[in-house]
Amino acid sequence: MTPRGRFLVATLSGLVIAGLVHVATVLLIPRLAEGDALSRARSGEGLDHPMPVNTVATGDAPPPVEAWLPIPDPAVAVGLCAFDLTEGPMRVSARTGPLMLSLAVHGPRGAFYAVTDQAAVRGALDLVVLTRAQYDEALANADEDEVSHDVRIVATDAKGFVVVRIIAALPSQRATADAAVQAVSCTVDSPADEKPGG
Amino acid sequence: MMRMTLAEMVARLRPDQTRPPASQPTSTGTVGPLRSGVSGRLAGLLRRGVRRASTVTLMLYALALGAGIGLATADYATRGGYPFGGVPVGAWTAWPKIGSVGADPYARAVNARRGEIPLAIGEGMLLTAEQDESGQALDAACTYQVAGVTPPARAWTVTVAGRGPRDSEAAPMREGFTSTEILRETDGHFAITLSPEVQPGNWLPMPRAKGPVRLALRLYDTPVAASAGNLDRSAVPAVTRTGCAP
Repeated sequence: MTPRGRFLVATLSGLVIAGLVHVATVLLIPRLAEGDALSRARSGEGLDHPMPVNTVATGDAPPPVEAWLPIPDPAVAVGLCAFDLTEGPMRVSARTGPLMLSLAVHGPRGAFYAVTDQAAVRGALDLVVLTRAQYDEALANADEDEVSHDVRIVATDAKGFVVVRIIAALPSQRATADAAVQAVSCTVDSPADEKPGG
Repeated sequence: MMRMTLAEMVARLRPDQTRPPASQPTSTGTVGPLRSGVSGRLAGLLRRGVRRASTVTLMLYALALGAGIGLATADYATRGGYPFGGVPVGAWTAWPKIGSVGADPYARAVNARRGEIPLAIGEGMLLTAEQDESGQALDAACTYQVAGVTPPARAWTVTVAGRGPRDSEAAPMREGFTSTEILRETDGHFAITLSPEVQPGNWLPMPRAKGPVRLALRLYDTPVAASAGNLDRSAVPAVTRTGCAP
């Protein structure tokens, strides 16, 4: 093979390697990223209430935690609850109010469940995120006579986060929207103190 | 694994490569003059050494080329907006799947790099517009009319943002409209005037003095996220340019 041919082979192999590197990089970015929502949500783990991500109230001093959403919706208050299901099922309780509320459950691969306040029963929306094993256990322990209003969602992965979005349709509702995000509770359900029926 | 097989392949090819040039001494410029001064055996050894070195060099070259191009294209594809998955609807592009488990790897990488929390299916849908109806890029120096109706949704917001990093100036007085606060015609249609100059009606000020801008229409609690492909051009607001500052 001539030197030129070898050079050509080397270049072609370089391009093939480039394709492999490209695919591998794109697939690895979500796992290695440090600024993604899942990694940032870790810092709020253990809180009983959502970590504010985007507050909409136009005050003099906006909280410093926000502003990592690239282009946030200025009318939507966003909060995050991180969960780690190895510690137990995650219970997200929200009371519906005058403002539209939506909850979305995100895993490392994307959102796998979303519900809005239209699904609320008597003004309350109770979401329990659990693993398959915890789900089976909850089914086995369920009391036949008690009616549970919990929405049980089997998570694809043990780690993830729940996004609370509240829309302030009018600027005057923005403070209410921020408060409504904080009013949502995210707690770890321990089997011992679980109330029957939720 | 692929690199190993590639290296083996090159190594297997090498004996065949070194032999033919030995019979044609003028094939390489650098080795030729050396050979005239010293014995043929030494020259052969030298040439073999050069050949071996050049194979390694070529392999390093291939690896460097692969790493360089691979990383650069991956960075380019995941920088800024989503490269795939958009559904064009008139001037808008709908992004129904970017937040779902079925999102393509590029959308997931873009979300991870930007720290974005996309809207899930069932929660809402994002539509973006970077061009007007005629296909011209939205420019901050021009005036646009965003008029018509939106797909069915419980609530929606239209926001405008400059593309690229945000200006560190004070927050603009208005970044968008919600479906509740917008002024409507008697038939339910609305018209937003996106302009750098003060306008009557629904005036949305330009977020910056010049440069490209981007509109985002977020539909909340909408049934269309599951069937974005069926959206018609008449179901989304039209974005038309009405004038431009000189």
